[in-house]
Amino acid sequence: MFRTALLCVGLALAGYASAAWLTHDFQVWTAEGARRLEVALRPIATPDVTIDGPEIVKQPLNRLLADGRTVTVVDFVYTRCQTVCLSLGGVMQQMQAALRQDDAASRAAPVKLLSISFDGSHDDPPVLQRYAARLNADADIWRFVRVPDPLDTQRLLNAFEVVVVPDGRGDYEHNAALLVVDRQGRLVRVFDYSEQQLAIDYARHLAGQP
Amino acid sequence: MTKAPWLTRPRMAAAALVLLGLLGLPPLRHALEAGMTTHMLVQFPLLALCGAALANALPARWRARCNRWNAYGVSGLLAAALVLAVLMIPRVLDLALVDARVEAAKWLALLVCGAALRISWRAAGLLVQGFFLGNVLPMTVVAGHLFQDTPVRLCNAYLLDDQVRLGQWLVGLAACVATAWFAQVLRAMTRQGGAAAIVTAPASPGSR
Repeated sequence: MFRTALLCVGLALAGYASAAWLTHDFQVWTAEGARRLEVALRPIATPDVTIDGPEIVKQPLNRLLADGRTVTVVDFVYTRCQTVCLSLGGVMQQMQAALRQDDAASRAAPVKLLSISFDGSHDDPPVLQRYAARLNADADIWRFVRVPDPLDTQRLLNAFEVVVVPDGRGDYEHNAALLVVDRQGRLVRVFDYSEQQLAIDYARHLAGQP
Repeated sequence: MTKAPWLTRPRMAAAALVLLGLLGLPPLRHALEAGMTTHMLVQFPLLALCGAALANALPARWRARCNRWNAYGVSGLLAAALVLAVLMIPRVLDLALVDARVEAAKWLALLVCGAALRISWRAAGLLVQGFFLGNVLPMTVVAGHLFQDTPVRLCNAYLLDDQVRLGQWLVGLAACVATAWFAQVLRAMTRQGGAAAIVTAPASPGSR
């Protein structure tokens, strides 16, 4: 009986330890929660991938993001999307409006928006241009790019832990979120798209820092 | 237990090894892990089944050695309950797809879970079994309801409707296991006259 009790204590400790490891000490239960926590603790550098888009020549994504002064709020989309990207588009529109007001009040904390398409074969620059027009995107604030090379796309998605799942009906399900990238091109925070105010305030805060 | 004479323990263990090999083949593994429901309700039970069949073939001497650490099957059932509890954390499913270490640990844990259940179930008797199920089944139902009710996807790699379906299955499965076990308790009580059977009798033969 003593040995059984001993083994039970050992098992309970092992179970506790594995659960604690999996949940970052019982803070998160899902992979998405863990991703957001891990990004906040350890920023992720933008991987070396090439992008292009309307009025944006082919260049490394890092050059676009890490210009040394702009903080960027990034979202991942595909233009054929009928579901979550539509609400994400609405969120980005509202953020664009807020940033415009910043500009008008010349509180020009340089925060920009960037939508990256992960459907690079379909969303070429003209398609993105039309999509941007449909969303009334102001190219000074909100730009659209794609990653032409599928391998690069996958590398970018892996680095930023964006998981795209085909839903079997021709659409994709993905963990849509607002990704804040700092002036050095590092992903520093991931916000839910219902937390747009938080995301933009955080981006302004970063941009306002000396 | 009535069983075909050709179904010897070594043969079952060999079959379990073959099944294990098949499950490990990348195409089948990816196919089962492509869906949340098949991942949790097909692959998980099959792995546990392999573990049970392998434990079944342990020589009597080894069994006796195990039993010294497993009075009334308590350690075994605790191990199984812990494995099931940890594997119900949604992050495990996502991590298992991208992290080979987690995938390996998951396989090992499920084999151990099946083996532990096989070794411990009968020794546990109805009282300890009841305690085990009284913990594991409500936990399963809660997880199942959570999977059904949450409006967000708990796993990045799986679709929402798959998650809802898995939730429904988990609740249904828990209900079925509870009913089956209770029927067995009633049978043991009728056979041995009254509730005393719960304390005194080891589970009747025919249980797993």
